[in-house]
Amino acid sequence: MTPPAAAAAPAVHPRRIATPGRRSAPPRPRRVSGPARRRIDARPPRPAQRRPDAHAGIAVGVLAALRGLSRAALLDRLLRGRTWIALVAFALIGIVTLQLGLLKLNASIGRTLEKEAVLQRENASLSIENSELSAGDRVESRAARLGMELVPVGALRFLAAHPEIDASRGAAALSAPVQSSSTGSEAPATGASGTAPAGASSQAAAEPTSTQAVGGPSSGEASSSPTREASASSGESAGSSAGASTPSTTPSATTPSATTSSTTAPAQAEPAGSSSAEASPAGGTQAGPTG
Amino acid sequence: MAVVQRRIGAIFGLFFLLLILAAGRTVYLGIIRGGTLRRAASDQQLTNETVTAQRGAITDRNGVDLAVSEPARDISADPYLITDPLGASQRLAALLSQTQASVLSELSERRGFVYLARALPARQADAILALKIPGITGAPVMRRVYPRGTLAAQVLGVVGTEGNGLAGLEYSRNAILHGRSGQRRVVSDAIGQPVSITEAHSEQPGKALTLTLDANIQQRTEDVLGAVGRDFNPKDATAIVMDPRSGAILAVANWPQVNANDAGASPASAMEDRAVGFAYEPGSTFKAVTVSGALQEGLITPSTPFNVPDQIQVADRTIHDDTEHPEETLTTSQILARSSNVGAIKIGQTLKAERFNGWVHRFGFGARTGVELPGEETGVALPLDRYSGSSMGNLPIGQGELVTPMQMASAYAAIANGGILRSPHIVSAVGGRPQRGPAGHRIISAATASALRHMLEGVLAPGGTASEVSIPGYQLAGKTGTASKVDPATGEYSQTAYVASFIGFAPAANPKLLCAVVVDEPQSGSIYGGTVAAPAFGQIMSFALPYLGIPADNPTGQGP
Repeated sequence: MTPPAAAAAPAVHPRRIATPGRRSAPPRPRRVSGPARRRIDARPPRPAQRRPDAHAGIAVGVLAALRGLSRAALLDRLLRGRTWIALVAFALIGIVTLQLGLLKLNASIGRTLEKEAVLQRENASLSIENSELSAGDRVESRAARLGMELVPVGALRFLAAHPEIDASRGAAALSAPVQSSSTGSEAPATGASGTAPAGASSQAAAEPTSTQAVGGPSSGEASSSPTREASASSGESAGSSAGASTPSTTPSATTPSATTSSTTAPAQAEPAGSSSAEASPAGGTQAGPTG
Repeated sequence: MAVVQRRIGAIFGLFFLLLILAAGRTVYLGIIRGGTLRRAASDQQLTNETVTAQRGAITDRNGVDLAVSEPARDISADPYLITDPLGASQRLAALLSQTQASVLSELSERRGFVYLARALPARQADAILALKIPGITGAPVMRRVYPRGTLAAQVLGVVGTEGNGLAGLEYSRNAILHGRSGQRRVVSDAIGQPVSITEAHSEQPGKALTLTLDANIQQRTEDVLGAVGRDFNPKDATAIVMDPRSGAILAVANWPQVNANDAGASPASAMEDRAVGFAYEPGSTFKAVTVSGALQEGLITPSTPFNVPDQIQVADRTIHDDTEHPEETLTTSQILARSSNVGAIKIGQTLKAERFNGWVHRFGFGARTGVELPGEETGVALPLDRYSGSSMGNLPIGQGELVTPMQMASAYAAIANGGILRSPHIVSAVGGRPQRGPAGHRIISAATASALRHMLEGVLAPGGTASEVSIPGYQLAGKTGTASKVDPATGEYSQTAYVASFIGFAPAANPKLLCAVVVDEPQSGSIYGGTVAAPAFGQIMSFALPYLGIPADNPTGQGP
C-alpha cells in the first residue's frame, strides 16, 4: 500500500531542525499538551495577596506547584520515554499480581479458618478424652491390674522438713557409714521384717527422689522411734552400723543417683535398731511405711 | 484506497455494533435484572456467618476438665425443599442416631423449618452435610460436654440448647463462661472457596473457671454416698469436704446422681444441690454451737459437771435422752460425747435465750454462707421475739431451727480453724486469675475452739456416739446428729423420718480437712447419724487425708 504523500515525508523532529542561525537564539518553550495557556506575563508576578481564607491559600500553592511540575522537562521526557511504558507495564502487572495475592490470601484465610475449626474440635475431644482417662477409678483399676495397691491408711508416715538443720544433719550422717560399711553389707537382716535377706545394696536405703513410700511387710526398715524418724528426715541412710556394702557406694546413697527405691526394695541390710531408714529428701513430705 | 476506507469503516461499524450490543446487555443485566441478580449473587457468594464463642471450660483445682465445649451443629431441614423424604430419612436416620420413622415424620411436616437434631457433634454433623441433601442445613453451635458424666453434676449444672447455663455454676457464672458470639462476612467464589472474609465483630470466648474441687476426692465422696444410698435407701444424701483453714470446698456430692450429659433423663429435683438447697433441722450436731457459746461466755468448762436425768420438762414439753438412764453426773465433754439432749438443754439454759440466740446468729445461721453456688437457702434461725416457753427446750439440741449442710460445715470449720468464720468458696480462679479467698471474722477464741475440738474427739472415742469410726494414725473429732423431721401431714415430729448426719474433721489437734455427711430419711437399716453418716465420713476421710498428704497424728499407724 502506497502511503500518502504527507505520510511518506520523513518525520522531522522539531528539535532536530536546528539551523546554525537560530542556534544562538534561546529555545522556545516546548508545547505542552493540554488546553492552550494564557501568555505568561513577563512582569514579575505580584506577590500573592494573603486571603483571609488560609485553606484557599494552600490550594493556590498546591496548584502552582502542580503547574510547575507540569512544566518540568524531566517529567515530560520521562512520560514520553520508553521508561514510562515499562513503568506502566510494571505497575499493571503489579496490580494484577497484588490482586491475585489478595485472592490467594483470602483463600488461605478461609482454609485456616476451617483448619481452626477442626483443631478446635480436636482440642475439645482431646480434653474430654484426657479428663475421662484421668478418672480416679479408671487409674485405680489399671494400677490394680498392674499389681499395685493403695497404701493402707495409717501406713504412711510424713516427715517434716527442717531446712535449717537438715543439711547439716545430712552432712554429719554422711561420714558415719564409711567406717562400718565393710561389715554391714553381709550382716543378716534383722530389721523389722526379720526375714529380709542380707546383702541388699546400701543404696537401696535411700531414695532422694521418692516422695511417697508404699508400706508393706517387705519394708524391713520400719521405724517407730523418734531417733529413726529424725534420721529419716535428714534424707539419707545413717547410723553407725548401717549396711553399706562398700565405702565407695555409701556416699552415693545420698545422691540422686541412688535410684533403688525404698518403696520396692525387698529388704534393707540393717540390724535391728539401727537408725538407718528409708528416706525422703529434706524437701519430701512423705516417707517410709511402718511395718 | 476506497476499499481500505470501506474496510476500516466496516470494522468500525462492527465494533460499534458490538459496543451497542454490550451496552444493551449491560443495561439489561445491570438495570432490568439488576435486583434479582444482585440477590442471587448475594445468596450464592455472600454469607454472614455467626461465629459461636467457645464457652469457658470448668476445671478442678488440678486442671482436670469437668465441663468442656466442643463445636457442634444444629441440623435442620426445610421439608418443602426435600423432594424425596423417604430416601433422605433412610440416609439421615443412622447419622442422627434416630429411627427412620421419626426422621421421616419430621421431614414430612408441612413447614419450612424443622430441627432434626440440636448440638450434634461436629463430626456427625459434617457427615450429614457431606450427603448434600437439598434442604438440610447445619448451623454452627457449641456443645457442652461433661467428661466425667455424673461427677459433681449438681454443682456444675447444665447448659441449655441456646448455650445458656440453666443450673449450678453454669447458671450462676453464665456471664463469665458464655463469652460473646461474633459475625463474619464471607464472599465465596464459584466453587465455594472464600475469596474475601471480613469480620463484622470478633467473637469473645468465655473465661475458664477453675474450682477448688478435687476430682479424685469428689469421685470418692460420690462413691461413698452411692454406697450409703444402696445400704440405707435414703430419700437423698449430700456430703461436703472442705479445707477448714481456707474455706475451700474440695468436694460437694449429692445422691441420687445425675448424668450431666443427659440431665433430662433425671427428675428435676435430682439436679438440686442439696448441700446448699436442703434446709433441715440439724439435731445433735447443733449441740456444738450451744456448747461453744457457753464456753466462750465462760459459763462452763469442759469439765463442768451437770446432773443429767434421762428427761427434762421445759414449759409444756418433756424432752428425753435417746436412751433411758438413771440420773447421773456428766461433764460438758461427756454430754457432747454421749450426745445427751438433757445435758445440752441444761447448757443452753445457762446461756439463756438472748445470748443463745446471739450465738446462733454469730455462727452464721439464718443467713447465706456466701458460697458461689446458686440456690442457697438461708435456713431459719428463729428471731428472739418468736421464742416460746419451750424454745430453749428444743433449740439447743438442734430442733426448731433449719440449717443447710453448707452452714453446718461452715460453722464446724470455724471450730476447726481456731474460731474464724469464713464463707466457703468453690471458685479459685476466673480466666486464670486467682480469686481472693474470703477474709472471715473471729467468732470464738482460739482457746474455746481448741477446747471444743478436744471435746469433740470424745464422740469418736470409746463410749461416744461414733466410736466405731476410726482411721488408723489419725485422731478424729466430730459430732453425730439424728434429727426428727416434721411430718407435714400432722405438723408433729415424725417417728419414722429422720435426718442422720455427721460433721467432723481431722487431725483433731490441727484440723486440715473437714467433712460433713447428711443423709435424709434413711429407710432401711439404721437411722442414726453414728451408724449411717459417720462411717461414710470415715471412708471419705480415710481416702482424702493421705491423698492430700496430711500427716497422721500418730505416725506409728496405730489407731487412736
